[in-house]
Amino acid sequence: MEGIPIRSARRGDIPSLLLLWDAMMREFVDADPRFEVHPDARAHMAASFAVWLQEPGRTVVVAEEAGRMIVGFATGVVLPGNGWQVPERLGRISDVYVAAPRRRKGIARRLAGRLLDLLYEEGVETVRLAAAVENPGARAFWNAVGWSELEVVLERPVPDPTPKV
Amino acid sequence: MDDATCGPAPAIRAARRSDLQTLTDLRMRYLGEAAHDEPRLRLTADARARTEHALPVWMGQEDRVLVVAEAGDGDGETTHVVAYGMGYLRTAPPVLVRRHVGELLEVFVVPEFRGQGHAAAIVRVLTDALVGRGAEVLRAAVPMGHAAAQARLKKAGYVPVQVELERTLGRG
Repeated sequence: MEGIPIRSARRGDIPSLLLLWDAMMREFVDADPRFEVHPDARAHMAASFAVWLQEPGRTVVVAEEAGRMIVGFATGVVLPGNGWQVPERLGRISDVYVAAPRRRKGIARRLAGRLLDLLYEEGVETVRLAAAVENPGARAFWNAVGWSELEVVLERPVPDPTPKV
Repeated sequence: MDDATCGPAPAIRAARRSDLQTLTDLRMRYLGEAAHDEPRLRLTADARARTEHALPVWMGQEDRVLVVAEAGDGDGETTHVVAYGMGYLRTAPPVLVRRHVGELLEVFVVPEFRGQGHAAAIVRVLTDALVGRGAEVLRAAVPMGHAAAQARLKKAGYVPVQVELERTLGRG
């Protein structure tokens, strides 16, 4: 099936990428308040996207509808392993996001597939990512496209030391 | 990680230079167990050499906590290091509000000393040390199949927040 084109992101896509990133983080926080966003996050991400588009080993792809509207994006990076466990180098997918009105059309699957291919072309054979426990849809998606669960990350809040008055 | 039991609290102290050889041996056993439980986490060929190189560096880092547990050999005089734990305070970029993450990286108890509360005591000491260094949240990653470690952490107040997934070229 011919779908929305997936292409590498360009500098002119950064405003659209930021809009999508904002929407993604709002969904994360709605699902799990532990992902509350830092006040400086948007400025940080604007700078990060600008760097990532030129950085070797970093990959950003977008889904572009009708040749003008970015409706999804995915980011990945090649990293060294920890040195004592294989692999020596691995790919990491940071984000895959599709605007809510454009879901269930296979766009996320095609973004992830394109990103995976680009990371494999960088010479890595293993790619990892983290999915939120409170997002069962994401876990189901990744399992459906051939990913297997490796580790669970557990978290404990630190009590607020401020005494109540 | 082992199960806590009643009785006197195990003796936990900061690791010292004189522990380096023992720490290297214990860490290789820890990594070996992890690789046995989860073959995708198997060791690199030079894992031991890298550990020997890294441990003295880690011992001098302000944002890293390295502790050991000692146990006596029964004569009331001699003690041996029978467990270790390592934590790290990671400062993340300003994306999430909670930027200072205390990571419980490794906890290992020699099998014959399990069930005596060493792991629980190490988790407590690491937690306190990381909070004391400014951690706003504590995290630990555990292989999916390692039910005992997950149970230990849940008992200490940890809850699952993320799942790490993997895909390897040619599989899936």
